[in-house]
Amino acid sequence: MKNNEAKIGVFLCECGGKISSRIDLPAVGELLKYEPWAHLEISPYPCLAPGLEAMQAKVQEKGLNRILVGGCSSRVMKKKFAAALAPVGIHEYQVEMVNLKDHVAAVHEDSPQKLARKAAALLAGGMAGLRLLEPYEPVSVPFQGPVLIMGGGISGFAAARELARKGMESRLFSPARDPGQVLAQLPRTFPGSQLFSKELTELLREVFTSPLVKVLPDLPVEYVVGHVGDYRLGLRQSDGTVTEVTGSALILALDREFVPGDYEYIGGGERVCDLLEMEERLAQGEIEAGKVVFWVNSPEHGKAAQQFNAVAAWRNSLVLARNHPRVKPTVLYPANITLPLSGADLAEARGCGIALQSYAPEVHPVVQSGYLTYFSPQDHLEHELEWDNLVVSMVPGEPAAKTQELLRWLPVYSENGGRLRKTQLKLKPDQVADETIFLTGSAGELKDLNEVLRQGKKAAQGVLHLQEKAKRGALVSPVVVTIDQDLCEGCGLCTEICPCGGVEHVKPGSGPVPRHADSHLCSGGGTCAATCPYEAVKMLNNTAQQLEARLKAVLSRMQENEALGFICSWGGLGAADLAGVKGLSYPRGVYLIPVNCLGSIDPAIFSMAFVNGANSILLGGCTPTASCHYVYGVDHSWVRVNIMKKLLSLAGLERRRITMGYVDVNQPEAFVRMVESHLDGMHKLAPINRDEKTKTKLWAIHATLHRPRVRWVLGTSLRRPTEKEFPGEQVNAVDADETMLDVLREEFLASRILKAIHDQPLNPPQIAQSMDEPVKTITPMLTDMAKEGRVTIKSWEGGYPLYATGKP
Amino acid sequence: MISFTINDREVTGQEGWTILEVAKWHGIDIPTLCYHGAVEPYGACRLCVVEVDDGQQRRLVASCLHPVQEGLKVQTDSERVKNVRRWILQMMVDEHPGSQRIKELAKSYGVKESRFKSDRVEDLCILCGLCVRACDEVVGARAISLGNRGVRKEVATTHRLPSPECVACGTCLYVCPTGAMEQLFDRIRG
Repeated sequence: MKNNEAKIGVFLCECGGKISSRIDLPAVGELLKYEPWAHLEISPYPCLAPGLEAMQAKVQEKGLNRILVGGCSSRVMKKKFAAALAPVGIHEYQVEMVNLKDHVAAVHEDSPQKLARKAAALLAGGMAGLRLLEPYEPVSVPFQGPVLIMGGGISGFAAARELARKGMESRLFSPARDPGQVLAQLPRTFPGSQLFSKELTELLREVFTSPLVKVLPDLPVEYVVGHVGDYRLGLRQSDGTVTEVTGSALILALDREFVPGDYEYIGGGERVCDLLEMEERLAQGEIEAGKVVFWVNSPEHGKAAQQFNAVAAWRNSLVLARNHPRVKPTVLYPANITLPLSGADLAEARGCGIALQSYAPEVHPVVQSGYLTYFSPQDHLEHELEWDNLVVSMVPGEPAAKTQELLRWLPVYSENGGRLRKTQLKLKPDQVADETIFLTGSAGELKDLNEVLRQGKKAAQGVLHLQEKAKRGALVSPVVVTIDQDLCEGCGLCTEICPCGGVEHVKPGSGPVPRHADSHLCSGGGTCAATCPYEAVKMLNNTAQQLEARLKAVLSRMQENEALGFICSWGGLGAADLAGVKGLSYPRGVYLIPVNCLGSIDPAIFSMAFVNGANSILLGGCTPTASCHYVYGVDHSWVRVNIMKKLLSLAGLERRRITMGYVDVNQPEAFVRMVESHLDGMHKLAPINRDEKTKTKLWAIHATLHRPRVRWVLGTSLRRPTEKEFPGEQVNAVDADETMLDVLREEFLASRILKAIHDQPLNPPQIAQSMDEPVKTITPMLTDMAKEGRVTIKSWEGGYPLYATGKP
Repeated sequence: MISFTINDREVTGQEGWTILEVAKWHGIDIPTLCYHGAVEPYGACRLCVVEVDDGQQRRLVASCLHPVQEGLKVQTDSERVKNVRRWILQMMVDEHPGSQRIKELAKSYGVKESRFKSDRVEDLCILCGLCVRACDEVVGARAISLGNRGVRKEVATTHRLPSPECVACGTCLYVCPTGAMEQLFDRIRG
């Protein structure tokens, strides 16, 4: 965008009569006559080649720099418009679409003139938002320095080798000093890995001898700060000092240890052992002749663990059979797991004389001296297996000790059962930046050794991809989030509630310093911006100011009995679009405003809407517990809606003026029911009586929601990414809610007082009179506010202090 | 600039435009099922057939794919075209008697269900691939593809398991011409 002055081109689509037969499009043009557009036209099909050609010509002829299309779904069509307009200098963010077809034409039964009014309101809103667009200049992040490979997992070595082969430096943190030490420890995480010791030794030797890999001791991690291209890792040395290592990218190679299960109940002394012990004996060559039975037991740890054990047992039996021809190994595994062996493996098993036997998992095999009784899944008969040595399974233990140190700093979370996962964002590929933090190893998902090594290699390739992009100057993120360094007080609330790890940590002990955001990790959900007590977080071109402008434009064209509807771009918008496709119908009185995620709506937006004439607000998002695409956006929004309800009731208005609904993208019928139900409820309420007193109260609600104290208390009650349950699970929901209510009550009162003395200094009785409250309610508040400096005593008159507004 | 006629009406187009696009732009209706403005044309349903005369021969082509040509004479509603559309619709309405959209189209061409109609009313998918193309071209997720061949062809995910690539955006639901995706959707997303 060359200049910041908006030149908006509005293109209204007839859609072959689908829109033009239902909406009087010339009337829409007439209604928008005084809106600030530079070009407005009605086109039969803007999305087809002739239409796009005409649009390009108009952009060039009139120098348009923003495009508003009144047509169908932006989720489906926007990309095509953006691609077609790119040659004439219009970027995707400069294109906005209002879905006239599915949100107006196809779903309402009113006259084309009435629908033209609604269409005009929505388009005016779109224009108001476009006017505040800011230029987006993609800035590539510098990417230099070595890759930091932490966690000590075997996949880290695979990653380091791949990086070294491609000429990229890395720092590998490992407790081992040579290949032998790594191999000695490996059976703890990957039992049965001895089979690959030759190949692994080669891999490890290459890593340890490579000039590009520096293997550093695995010291305790004090902090991990920074962002892609510039990570700083603090390591605590043995003397207590902290040294810093810098790097451009992070690979977390974390494996999960396998520990001996409880098999004391079997007894049998020396003859019964676990896989790890067997491996040690194998290494020392202590096996005598006889029958060795590897029993894959411990179903309580899940099929993945059993499969893992079965593979380990198979590998150990292979080593046994190869080195000790007089030993006859058998692997006894439950029939309900898939034996992850290839045809070649099975052929080899036959060749070596290894028996692979399945047992019916319904009946737990019984151990006898020298015999193991199991039921065969084929004939349902019991069979006896002779053994001289019985080897039982290992069970998955906790993730490596390193994990806890790292989780504190990185957007990796531990699920029930200790499984690690990164934030799972289900967004369209072009909505998210490249992966910048790589999690590999069996601590995430139980994977076989080969798979884990492949993960390491893949992570290395990911890093190389980042490096290559940076060289081209293309390491940019589709989302740009910034934190205003002057406004930020360093409270850290954003870091805490961000599910994507998009807000950087600060070093311990650095105090409340302003935060920085990492756009590459940001999903664009925006709940951090809506939470920030100081309103310092800003998502470029998805700001509260833009939404405000949009709402004001729409609200000014709405009638008293109509409702404002916010829908998220996944569940709500999807279902609303589909309602149009399926030809469902609902009343005209709801004006849908799509937002990225309901969680991105600042609570002050709700109050702003009420101040500017809204009589009711409906929010339609995804299912809070299940399908929010931004992890917790919807339930964060829900908390904000509840706050708004409390404030409405404090102002003497009905709580139901704001309601929240959830809807699945595949349930347009549910969406229609939700809208109808909301409108029914709303029609039972009279429009807000906008007398001076109510207006003052609405204004005070708005001021209250801008107060850092309120926003802070609100922010602390939001669900964190580490929390699985709702905040309602807290020790005492009612107490917590009452605390919130107390804060709201106080700040609402304070806001009303400030409004009362805004124009002229007043004494307490005068203030009380203007607020219609007893004097005794406001005097303690006035005293407090005077102490804080929010009001000042200007002078004394007739024994009363005259209060005026103090510093903001 | 390429001049040609559609139903004897003089129209112009440009290199790379298709007959369907120009016809729609001029308000000439051609029925389609597998066509959507958001994705590249595919020519699966063949409902958009038109009769073209390039001076040498008269033939039927899929207008969604056929590029405009200088001097071409296009007939969008000739008896020959209608006959082909009726046959296509006859087969579709028999194969997918549950689809409202196909029923309406068939009715407008005077086609009724025959005695050979399928009894599987729940089978709505006409395998036009619009969902697959939208998932690839619009969303970029490539969560679904057309699996199997011939009479067993179906819209499917990898290994027929819920797709980890699916972002549950519902673009496929929006573009599906028959509503078949509604039943498939929950099996596709995880």
